[in-house]
Amino acid sequence: MNVGRGNLCYNSVALREINMAHSDLTSRDVASLANPAGLMENQYAPCRWACPVHADVRTYIQLVAEGRFAESVDVIRNRLAFACVCGRVCHHPCEKNCRRQDVDEAVAIRELKRFVAEKVGSSGCTVSRPETQNKARVAIVGSGPAGMSAALELARKGYRPTVFEKHHLAGGIPMTAIPKYRLPRDVLQMDVDWIVAHGVEVVTGAEIGKERTLPSLLKDGFAAVILATGLASSRMLPLPNINHPRVYPVLDFLRELAFDRQPAIGSDVLVVGGGNVAMDAARSAVRLGARRVRAVCLENEQEMPAWEWERTEALEEGVTFIHRRGPVEVVTDGGSIRALRTRGVKSVFDADKRFNPQYDDSDIQDLECDTVVFAIGQAPDFAFTHDSGLEMDSRGRLAFNPLTQQTSMPNIFACGEIVTPPGSVVEACASGVRVAAAVDMHLQTGSIRFNDALPEKIGTIPAVTAGKVLKFQRQAVDIAPANERVAGWSEVDHNLTEEAALGEARRCMGCGGGAEVMVDKCAACMTCVRVCPFGIPKVTDVARIDSALCQSCGICIAECPAGAIISRSLPVGDVQMRTRHAVELLPAGRKIVAYIGGFKASAADWVGQSESVEGVAKVYLASTTRLAVSDMLHALTLADGVVVVGCGQGLDRYPQSAGRTSLRVDHARRLLQSAGFNANAVQISLAAHEGLAGVNEAIRQAISQMSQP
Amino acid sequence: MTEPVSNLQSQLDSGKFVVTGEIGPPKGVNVDKCLHEAEAYLKNSVAAVNVTDIQTAVMRTGSMAVSHLLVSKGIEPVYQMVTRDRNRLALQSDLLSAYVLGVRNVLALTGDHVAMGDHPAAKPVYDLDSVSLLAAITNLEAGRDMGLDTKGNPNQLDGAPRFFKGACVTPCAEEVEPQIIKLEKKIEAGAQFIQTQAVYDPAAFEKFMNRISHLKAPVLVGIVMLKTAGMAKYMNSSVPGVNVPDAIIKRMADAAKEDRQKVSIEICGELVAKMKHCCQGAHLMTLGWDHCVPEIVKAAGL
Amino acid sequence: MIVAELKPFDEIMAMLAGSRKVLVLGCGSCVTVCLSGGQKQAEELASLIRLRSQQTGMDITVDVDCITRQCDKEFFDNFKFDPRGYDAVVSLACGVGVGFMSREMPDLRILPGLNTTFYGANTAPGEWKEFCHGCGDCVLAWTGGICPIARCSKSLINGTCGGTNGGKCEVKPEMDCAWLLIYQRLRELGKLDEYRKIRPARDWRKDRGSGVRRLSRQELSQIDEEPRQ
Repeated sequence: MNVGRGNLCYNSVALREINMAHSDLTSRDVASLANPAGLMENQYAPCRWACPVHADVRTYIQLVAEGRFAESVDVIRNRLAFACVCGRVCHHPCEKNCRRQDVDEAVAIRELKRFVAEKVGSSGCTVSRPETQNKARVAIVGSGPAGMSAALELARKGYRPTVFEKHHLAGGIPMTAIPKYRLPRDVLQMDVDWIVAHGVEVVTGAEIGKERTLPSLLKDGFAAVILATGLASSRMLPLPNINHPRVYPVLDFLRELAFDRQPAIGSDVLVVGGGNVAMDAARSAVRLGARRVRAVCLENEQEMPAWEWERTEALEEGVTFIHRRGPVEVVTDGGSIRALRTRGVKSVFDADKRFNPQYDDSDIQDLECDTVVFAIGQAPDFAFTHDSGLEMDSRGRLAFNPLTQQTSMPNIFACGEIVTPPGSVVEACASGVRVAAAVDMHLQTGSIRFNDALPEKIGTIPAVTAGKVLKFQRQAVDIAPANERVAGWSEVDHNLTEEAALGEARRCMGCGGGAEVMVDKCAACMTCVRVCPFGIPKVTDVARIDSALCQSCGICIAECPAGAIISRSLPVGDVQMRTRHAVELLPAGRKIVAYIGGFKASAADWVGQSESVEGVAKVYLASTTRLAVSDMLHALTLADGVVVVGCGQGLDRYPQSAGRTSLRVDHARRLLQSAGFNANAVQISLAAHEGLAGVNEAIRQAISQMSQP
Repeated sequence: MTEPVSNLQSQLDSGKFVVTGEIGPPKGVNVDKCLHEAEAYLKNSVAAVNVTDIQTAVMRTGSMAVSHLLVSKGIEPVYQMVTRDRNRLALQSDLLSAYVLGVRNVLALTGDHVAMGDHPAAKPVYDLDSVSLLAAITNLEAGRDMGLDTKGNPNQLDGAPRFFKGACVTPCAEEVEPQIIKLEKKIEAGAQFIQTQAVYDPAAFEKFMNRISHLKAPVLVGIVMLKTAGMAKYMNSSVPGVNVPDAIIKRMADAAKEDRQKVSIEICGELVAKMKHCCQGAHLMTLGWDHCVPEIVKAAGL
Repeated sequence: MIVAELKPFDEIMAMLAGSRKVLVLGCGSCVTVCLSGGQKQAEELASLIRLRSQQTGMDITVDVDCITRQCDKEFFDNFKFDPRGYDAVVSLACGVGVGFMSREMPDLRILPGLNTTFYGANTAPGEWKEFCHGCGDCVLAWTGGICPIARCSKSLINGTCGGTNGGKCEVKPEMDCAWLLIYQRLRELGKLDEYRKIRPARDWRKDRGSGVRRLSRQELSQIDEEPRQ
């Protein structure tokens, strides 16, 4: 029985302005909300706040935890066009800000995104095109994350975007410069296909500045042009012999690999640079069969900008590092390269931490090699703007107004790294979303005004609260051993298994998605104060529950006699709604409702595809802490029996779950008994941690006990 | 000292060690048996006979009627009166009624709670408590009732009664000071003699008597006849302020069934003998074994 | 706070005999605080009524509502379900709410779903105890804050009776002897003299002795005054 699918619309946030931070929530407010989840739009969890596109991390992780994968990807893609790419390569500021770090370790958000995005693929998630797409045509130059994100947003707003890509494949840097062992092409293609499905036209092999120019685009009926060409050329140094054919600009080197054209290299490769692109080049050179691959950089180990993990994996694969040396000359011998002459580096950064290397010219050393890859940075290529009338600024960059995303020509816009500091894929996506909004404003109103203010961020979790959260180990991702990795171009790390992903998703504390008090209904009865295992509710005049501290266990919601507490992450009456829906799907005959909740319920159970017990409607809950006595009695009005399957003591994600659940079942049975009904119609089993077989067996046993006097 | 109103009062006034007995009216109108036993066994052995007032809240014939019947047979009753069942109107009226029927001794009690009896759903009254009942009796004796006339002055009686007024106390309660304070209040309110809850521990009783040496009212130590060892154990576990020592329980347990009554008489006699030096009398609660009273008196060496 | 508890279900069903459309109406004050008559308990009772209705083919429809207080008529504006549309309203308020609703809406059948039990306070998780009897003549000043009217099973005012048993009342073994508590408290406070004083018989007119009691705050009486021109 598949339960709960489609009941929740996490993103339809049609709500009137309710600023949770400064005013009380009333039952009238809640009645006016399509879904209390909208309340969370007013306050971001740190993961969401830190995310450049502000993806609703908490919601999509929660949906993963419930096995609702397609809905999860929809939530991700609502904000992030490149869900698959980011699942692989994102620098995940979300995880760096994850409050779970105060308990044990951050939730593996990127891995979960990868799991769910690739599991669902491009076809499994929703493509929602507006009814009409007849607004203006907009040209986008460059099909990287920025350009494609802009195109997607414009398509969603009803425009007709056309993306011009100079290469023969769309995707930009992820396509041309990220090695396949980090980002398989089919994964990238999932994102591109999904974006294109929204009515985005992509013209490949079309380099602007040749047969089409910016002026010609405007003349050809494009109401606006967005420049999203990124950093398309590698920085080089004016050194002797720099133009030797075995001296590669890094983007050329990686692009050759990306398009399956083996770059010619020798056996002794020297990569100049200490950043992530340099790591990509070095690790690719290893895979190309080089006997020795060394990376030389100005920085010492601590200063080098590459991610720690990337450096470690490179080391494991045999790359060695030479620090604090700068290139002086490519030394050739006959037609071939003999060495890279280098000089010592005294310091890289000045007192103001600006990049300002100081060299020691007395320290000259030749590093033997036969191939050199320069990975010392990338730069924009403005060649295509010649004769377009676009102005450059005093430093030779494109004149650009960051407030409006406009260049010197009002209908030519820019986004991504052509105008921003170098960054990550997700930052480029954010820039693309913003430029689409700018174009829309420009074309609809003629003026562009952004409100860049973010909702407030939920604060930190105090140690006393963190100490009460049950600890669960972060799911480790399998990484192939180095000797296997270097043998080919297949991916280095493996996706989470479904079970691991569900377990990991349930580590998410749902920050800010917890309890909220409707002040007009609160009787200040202290029940929430008395039952909260985390000590969060406070009663002054009425109960106040600090959503920044609430752990979303739902105990208070279930216990509140006034029904005054709602969940910010679930619709009001969620359990009863889902129960009704599930029972309706049962065939005629004896009907049983089984509430199954807990941290370790098996994966198949959560997606509802498992074999079930006949006549049983399974309703999965994050924890049985969320099941009230009134819910159980309500279920009995729809079915012949209720089985509550909770986790054994200490096995639920929330403290006190087993005890609370048992007390509530006892109470429900007492009420039934005193009213002359069969108390055995409500059964409890604490077997949810035993997996599918255990759960089904528990349900069968419980049903057999229902008829006993 | 005022003129004694009853034989009990005059005997106590004389300093003589006084024994009183007790009968419980029947549940029903057949009062002959209890009257016969009073006449046969108590009349010549005791100074007065308590008549219980719906004892342990088990409904039965009233104390006033049976007290009156005793009067008519020449036996002096101690009319027990509890505040559980009647408000101040009924209590005062019953006092006047009892007086005109010849009753002169009154024992003022709060009374066991209705929850302890056979009509637990009854509404407990407790308009007055034992202290205010004693005060009310004293007030009647002064020719007044508790009410006020339209000018705010106490109503005057057309003829005032005079009673010998008693109260009770639990000498062996775990916390004895609140009992003593309340006893002081009872005496202040008018109590002239004291009958106690059952006592089986002479040492503890003597200690209690020393603590109330400042009170001048005569004390009749209460003795409840033990019928079996089981009854003794039950009293220990369930009757507040009663502690039957193990040695006594053992004596009852060791006694053959046919000897139990004899042993019980011996025990009662010994208890009275051991305590008579520190009190002014004994109140024997025989629970139907009224015929034993003469032998107990004998066994006590009185 | 007023404490109440759910009536026996069969009694509620007997009251509802013949009713086809029933509103279970919670009260958001005292009875919510003691977990007897709030929104949730109303939902629970509604489910039980529906269950009985299903099992016996009675065909009762049940709705649930809850207002802030049933003892103030201004809150009647907040009904989500109009009680006039029902054959019977099972009120989960205390007797005050039931009585007041009946007075204000005399055409309706307002039925008590609870038995109103006492004025009490929460003494342990899930436990409420009686602290006051509403006798109208408070004696707490000389009883160390422990009410003998509410907490002595005989409402004695002059001290312990003979039924005090190891600190407990002989009426119920779980019930403390209030007078022993009073004695101990007064002793700790050095106020045993308060115990020693004879307390005269009480004037029960302030309790229920002289009928319905009322509070009249004349300073808030209706003003019958035309605005001056």
